[in-house]
Amino acid sequence: MKKTIPLLMVVLLILGNLLFADSTPTQLPVLEAPVLIVSAGQSPGALQFSVVAKMAKLPHQFEKLLKAEDFDPTKYKTLVLVVGASSKGLGAAGIDIEEEVKRVIALAEKAKANKIPVVICHLEGGTRRGPMSDRILDALAPYASIFLVKTDSDKDGKFKTLSENLKVPIVYFEKTSDLKGIIQQYFIY
Amino acid sequence: MKRFLAFLFVSVLTLTTVLAVVSGSVVTSKYGMVAAANEYAARIGAEILERGGNALDAAIAVSFALGVAEPYASGIGGEGYAIVRLANGERYAVDFKSVAPGLASYDKIEGKLSSINYTAKGACVPGVVAGAAEVWKLGARMPWAELIKPSIDLARNGLVVNETFAGIVSDNYERLLENAPEFLKDGMLAWEPGDVFTNPTLADTLELIAKEGPDAFYKEKIAEDIEKFMLEHDGFMRKSDLENYKAIVREALHGTYRGYDLYVPHPPVSGPQLLAILNILENFNLSAFSWDDPLAVHIIQQVLVLEDVDRRLYISDPAFFDLPTEGFISKEYAKTRLMELNLSKALDPNTYFDHAGNAYEFVEGKTYEEVLLKGAKVSSSDPMDSYEFHSTTHFSVVDRYGNAVAWTQTLSSFFGTSMYVDGFFLNNEIGNFASTYREGDVINLEPGKRPRTTICPTIIEKDGKVKYVLGTPGGGRIISTITQLVVDLIDFGLSPEEAVKAPKFVGYASYKDLRMEKGFPENTVRFLEEVLGHKVKLYEYPDLFFGGPNIVAVEDDGTMIGVGSIRRNGAAACPEK
Repeated sequence: MKKTIPLLMVVLLILGNLLFADSTPTQLPVLEAPVLIVSAGQSPGALQFSVVAKMAKLPHQFEKLLKAEDFDPTKYKTLVLVVGASSKGLGAAGIDIEEEVKRVIALAEKAKANKIPVVICHLEGGTRRGPMSDRILDALAPYASIFLVKTDSDKDGKFKTLSENLKVPIVYFEKTSDLKGIIQQYFIY
Repeated sequence: MKRFLAFLFVSVLTLTTVLAVVSGSVVTSKYGMVAAANEYAARIGAEILERGGNALDAAIAVSFALGVAEPYASGIGGEGYAIVRLANGERYAVDFKSVAPGLASYDKIEGKLSSINYTAKGACVPGVVAGAAEVWKLGARMPWAELIKPSIDLARNGLVVNETFAGIVSDNYERLLENAPEFLKDGMLAWEPGDVFTNPTLADTLELIAKEGPDAFYKEKIAEDIEKFMLEHDGFMRKSDLENYKAIVREALHGTYRGYDLYVPHPPVSGPQLLAILNILENFNLSAFSWDDPLAVHIIQQVLVLEDVDRRLYISDPAFFDLPTEGFISKEYAKTRLMELNLSKALDPNTYFDHAGNAYEFVEGKTYEEVLLKGAKVSSSDPMDSYEFHSTTHFSVVDRYGNAVAWTQTLSSFFGTSMYVDGFFLNNEIGNFASTYREGDVINLEPGKRPRTTICPTIIEKDGKVKYVLGTPGGGRIISTITQLVVDLIDFGLSPEEAVKAPKFVGYASYKDLRMEKGFPENTVRFLEEVLGHKVKLYEYPDLFFGGPNIVAVEDDGTMIGVGSIRRNGAAACPEK
């Protein structure tokens, strides 16, 4: 039984890929657990993702400020970077936006080098979109395996455009609580 | 689908219960007006006016409603100050500032006061309920319980979360998850725009206050609950602190500006500072400039800085110090402050605290020639100050009978300590005392002392009639924003809507740069930097950092214009007739 469940999930994912292909010519990545969740911008979005991950019983580790040198790629099968820049959060961490961009790019590069899919998530809506958040998003987008985006975060269509240009799948959700269903649907655990 | 039905239910309920009032960001009426930082609260106030209540009734109802609708910015766990103008011409200052608990002292705190900001120790004794009761005694018409009932209904039936609410919850999510998960959606998630927020626990608490009166809060169940919470969380406040709490009613502090009469609070808040600033500005023909002229910005900003330096010397709890308030607000003293200004160059921020005045010399009504010929020296000022938050909320009310109320209330930072008791948050006003004990400082923490803050609800009259009722939240930016409102209205001839919407700037001695909202002409910014030597820091427009001012203005024919707090989804509301 234990072996058949992951097999079933892979089959479902392939089916999902086929269905998804109707709207976007992209491949859904295989997102396996355990998952490393890291803040990209020091807003509370990453903590919110980890709370929902807990609700969904997704095996995961949450790190606010993890650096690439402390990222052990053998421990995780998926990296989730939750984008959201907060001056208050960056100030509390004692870093500026450029240092934060360098830190998260280094993490994404290490994940890619180790064939770990990178999930770019934005879940704090339009109020957490601004020049600083977009600076992080633009830097991370080339590493994305999939975008998980709250509908309200993409009023200007930036994520949609990135998804189309980079041929990376995008999954929208209305409310943060809906993310639980997304996690259960798209992550294998 | 369930969420949509809930949204629909709340929307219909809201519309049907307050159908006889009109609201919007700018509203005009001859039947009374409320302007606030939240539309639900503004409409509740207008509904009270529509039912025959006066401005005092409406203000009390709005105060409780804001605690429900903006639980992050104020509430019964907080404090504030109100200026009340009665139709008979009496003007009162109602001080319901919080008070340091009897057990609070530096030797019981490890490190700086900021280390207890988000703990039970950070809370001072709340004053909002006592303040509302004092305002009620001054001349409200409706029964106390009826003024609280709309807030009970709002807390029980719910309100639709707007972007401001959601954004502030999101910003403070980590602390809320740790200290007040029961406030969050499903006990763990941030509230999002469109959600229906209910607070049945607060509804029960308000029901008790409605039924039993303020004693429920200060002497009975809620006081007992607070003490129990404090004992469990190692806080300072005890039931005896609540039992001893008193709001203070005085005559409002009076000043003038270009023929207008201003009624403002006494220390420990910034009424005297506002009057001191306007006394200096009165020496300039500001109406010869436009609101965005770089020289006008320079003059106003430098005056703001100078009087912020003075604020740190001359504003504290008057029960603990013999403050030179009369000197501080004298027009003669203002002339000595005028002499500190350099019209062609910004003061070096590193020398701000070398430019303190000596208001004590002017307490007995001496002229500036007498004082300066005698060779009086200025006082020295302390550059240290406590951190000022940009939370807080303000509302303005005018009724058709000639009563008016300007009311500002706060928890200090958003969500205060984030300590959550009986459905409300406890303030963290203790952070407004000196961060560590400093010999001779007027804001050292002492039991029973009211902390100094910058709030300044203001009523402006012309020829004995209410002309403007205004105020703003915004921490260290409050006095800058209020000064600009006054000058924009009186000197630059802006309409109330234009005055609220105009980009704002700050003059504050803790800031070494000139902080401005975007929206000033590029040439103004260049001139300030390249000619006058300011280091300009631009913020997006609009930015909550500069507060959320609102105004009720009264035209000569009695028409009232209400402008809500556009910087945080606020509204004005009025009875239809």
